[in-house]
Amino acid sequence: MASDKIIKSRFFFEDEVEEKLAEVPTEEPDSWQADEKLAKVGKPYSRIDGYDKVSGTARYAFDMHLPNMAQAKTLRCPLAHARIKGIDTRKAEKLSGVLAVLTHRNTPEIKWYGTSFLFDTHLRYEGDEVACVIAETESIAEQAIKLINVDYEELDHVVDAKEAMQDSAPKLYDSGNIRNGEPGTYSRGEVEKGFAQADTVIEDTYRTQIAIHNPTEVHCSVVNWDGDRLTVWDSTQGIFRVRDGVANSLNIPLNSVRVIKKYMGGGFGSKLEAGKYTVMAALAAKQIGRPVRITLDRKEMNLAVGNRPDSVQTLKGGVKKDGTLTALFHHSYGAIGAHPSNAQCSWPLKSMYKCDNVKVEEYSVYINAGRARPFRAPGHVQGFFALESLLDDLAEKINMDPLEFRLKNYADKDQVYNIPYTSKVLREAYQKGADAIGWQNRSEKPGSGRGPVKRGIGMSSQIWWGGGGPPAYATLKLNRDGTLRVIAGTQDIGTGTYTFMAQVAAEALELPMEKVEVILGDTAVAPYCGASGGSTTAPSVSPAVRNAAENMKAKLISGAAAHLEVPESQLTYQKGMVNHKTNTDKSIAIDQLVREMGEQVMVSIGKRGANPEGYMINTFGAQFADVQVDTETGKIRVNKIVAAHDIGRVLNVKTLENQMHGGVIQGLSFALMEERVIDRYTGKVVTFNMHDYKMPTIMDMPDIEMFIVSGGDPKISSTGVKGVGEPAMIPTPAAIANAVYNAIGVRIKQLPMTPDKVLNALYR
Amino acid sequence: MKSFSYHQPKDIREASNLLGDNWQDALLNAGGTDLLGLIKHDIEKPDHLVNLKAVKDLDKVRYQEGKGLSIGALVKLNDLAAMDIVQNKYTVLAEALQETASPQLRNMGTIGGNLCQRPRCWYFRGDFDCLRKGGELCFAADGENKYHCISGGGPCFIVHPSDPAVALLALDASVTIAGKDREYTVPLHDFFVLPEDDVMRENILQPHEIVTRIHVPDLPSNTRSGYIKFKERDVWDFAVVSVAAVLRMGSERIEGGTMAFGGVAPKPWMEKTINDALNRMEVTDTNLDSLAQIAFTDALPLAQNGYKIPLVRNLIKRVIRTLNA
Repeated sequence: MASDKIIKSRFFFEDEVEEKLAEVPTEEPDSWQADEKLAKVGKPYSRIDGYDKVSGTARYAFDMHLPNMAQAKTLRCPLAHARIKGIDTRKAEKLSGVLAVLTHRNTPEIKWYGTSFLFDTHLRYEGDEVACVIAETESIAEQAIKLINVDYEELDHVVDAKEAMQDSAPKLYDSGNIRNGEPGTYSRGEVEKGFAQADTVIEDTYRTQIAIHNPTEVHCSVVNWDGDRLTVWDSTQGIFRVRDGVANSLNIPLNSVRVIKKYMGGGFGSKLEAGKYTVMAALAAKQIGRPVRITLDRKEMNLAVGNRPDSVQTLKGGVKKDGTLTALFHHSYGAIGAHPSNAQCSWPLKSMYKCDNVKVEEYSVYINAGRARPFRAPGHVQGFFALESLLDDLAEKINMDPLEFRLKNYADKDQVYNIPYTSKVLREAYQKGADAIGWQNRSEKPGSGRGPVKRGIGMSSQIWWGGGGPPAYATLKLNRDGTLRVIAGTQDIGTGTYTFMAQVAAEALELPMEKVEVILGDTAVAPYCGASGGSTTAPSVSPAVRNAAENMKAKLISGAAAHLEVPESQLTYQKGMVNHKTNTDKSIAIDQLVREMGEQVMVSIGKRGANPEGYMINTFGAQFADVQVDTETGKIRVNKIVAAHDIGRVLNVKTLENQMHGGVIQGLSFALMEERVIDRYTGKVVTFNMHDYKMPTIMDMPDIEMFIVSGGDPKISSTGVKGVGEPAMIPTPAAIANAVYNAIGVRIKQLPMTPDKVLNALYR
Repeated sequence: MKSFSYHQPKDIREASNLLGDNWQDALLNAGGTDLLGLIKHDIEKPDHLVNLKAVKDLDKVRYQEGKGLSIGALVKLNDLAAMDIVQNKYTVLAEALQETASPQLRNMGTIGGNLCQRPRCWYFRGDFDCLRKGGELCFAADGENKYHCISGGGPCFIVHPSDPAVALLALDASVTIAGKDREYTVPLHDFFVLPEDDVMRENILQPHEIVTRIHVPDLPSNTRSGYIKFKERDVWDFAVVSVAAVLRMGSERIEGGTMAFGGVAPKPWMEKTINDALNRMEVTDTNLDSLAQIAFTDALPLAQNGYKIPLVRNLIKRVIRTLNA
């Protein structure tokens, strides 16, 4: 069996480089080649947890009900900016059925967001946690919350990033409202020289809105103490992150905290960290000696558990007549809410196209609103809307087809680190997408269609990381009846992780799918895997499973050799049997072998191998939109999206299609509907329910056609898989925006492209 | 949510008595689709909830030639929309009903409840002590007002949320109201009130009064009617602007007709100049443009809702073109 070594692993998790020491194998099985046909991997298996979900037997964190369990609800600050002068909880405590009330006065000072606390007396946004009530029922807890009397000193607020950047603005922190006090910057080449070389220069400003994750399942935890040991059922994208966060907050050893998450109703980046609510529930549960369940309601979801920061992006692009991009400049600012986060969105401009002269300056700005969190392709969704709008305008100025313009500036290597990609199959994606949408029929004269309803076609490119990397581990256990258990400390956030893990194991060991069971989402029993974000789960975890299966195979051959008393070299493994190459009498089925050897022996571990040195791993893609715009009402209807992507090897085409549809729909929703609106005078959110925070319905859905142009990327790992969760959404809004311009000949420079904006643009 | 006691009276008089004489003592439960939300979010805090479910005859629809349609207040929106007479004769009403909410809500929601529903203004529905809830300020006036009214506003700027009400107004409907000591019928036109008359209520109902029936007059055989609801998503959304038209079509021109509008004012809205202009109007592009130009000339849009003017004008033209086709 292969030996191991420790390396410093670096890869992009969301839009930041994550660095971790990781144990990786020094040898791995040969990677599945790009054109290799596999028996199970890639096939459209239905989810192995599908029956549990549709029949209602699947228990989500929200569904956990323990005997004697109490319910908790949170009192949140009703003001945009305030200080607690006094708090009187006596009435609430006296209400029959109330078990405890937690505030800053009776809980330890637990650090949060670096400079704040679990319960801070300086409340920086509407929704900031003030108190937590634990009661026999949710309804009693809700009543008790209203009985808490808080004396607030109302402070001046600011809820707009531009205003917050002014010296005169109310300050959230003594150090000012600009995070780190300065913009994030980047440059390569000489941007001024680049603009001087250009025949055409365009500068324009593009705006995107704040969007809320709003997963179907609300944030929630059920916690239970057994002596000094705490079990947490949480709706989370990162069980180990929750374990670490909760243990640190409570100042207890990591091995005292067990985090479990079996199923999840969506996260989209809002569930990548331990929540205050979980720690509040744990404190309360300890105090009352009972299990506690805490849930957020839809309003809390819209205030307090993350959002996509907005952006005001001023872009400048220079181009020669022949289509060569000579310079790109990006200046932006965006609101990150009341606590540290990141509003940067220049990665598309820095990395998508070949351009030697690039300069970037971007500000992340504190405002009195809920803190931003990563949201499905942070920065990229905003950035591509601006970049691709600019690119189409540049192409029009020099009379070049937008697709040809993009091909002219095709990057053959990574533009930021100046290293080759492990693979890039974008040209094929452009071709497939253009053919499927009917690009040749696209009107070259924007807005020239007859009649009030005008049709248009547009496209956008896409780049993202999504290569994953170590550490990620999987354990395999073979049972005496020949069934297999796969155990890993990742979590299925609704994307089909259970199913592809079974497929990879079944593929490598040539077993029927029914013989494979998968255990995920339990920090007490499963080996470490990272959080599920950044489109890294499948590319990180699938190689660990395959490597574990290959190790198991080697162990089976070794065991068979000992049992049959023949050299290992004369044995081969096939479909649950170890066979002698020539002597048909010398063969043994694996269940029999396990009975001979004992189950305890038949455990193998697989580790995600190191990423190749000197390469960038990226996903690529292109989406094409066919829209119609009713110029009398301003309504945009998306008829069709064609999504053509390079995501390495496909693990399961059915769950892949689910993810692709989900991404396109979320992209469409961001392009046309979703927006968190804050009343500027009170600093309070007005879109706190699913009526006013608009998301599309089935009636608003386009046709979605998907093409995967990649076979696999063997340079990355033993499975050659890249992620798809985020790539699916990244180009959708930009493609729609360019299609809208093609339809009406007026550019909408602000998302969401709601009817009022379209009408205002048309009837200016 | 405040606790309340629940009542299920058998007749209207008993229901009216249970409602009492003071605002906020009691609330009626018809379909209940919005009521629970209002109570749960502390917008309404009744001591009593009076369910009309057991009151007889309120769920019946009668049609009599020459006299028209009489609709019980508890008739479900979907049941009404599915009736042949409604679909064939009162098309504008059928279309408005079908455009309301979602299938699930239409299965529960009643016509009476729909007419009496509270506005959807996000300040009214939110944690804002606004005028309509007895506060000092309309937050929408200088706030986030892209969905608010362009006509009839001040000091509050809600829009009335009902679709059927707009259709019924165009159909010249009236409502029967039962109180503890009398029953009377008023034109729908007089049923709704503007904020300038009563900023805390959307209609004339007194605390003890209940809408029992809606009457729609019979229509001449040359009537064509239709409803266009413009909403931001294709289902389960309130109107940004809606237009109801009931036109008597001659061979070459419109003999006469009425139009009513939703999403533009605190009550279902009508403009006399538009109805006058419909009189003997020939449907030509020029005439339609002229009609659109005289529509909503008195509107006073707020900072963010000026787009509703071109929108409503375009919809006026569209609905007439559709009915003339």
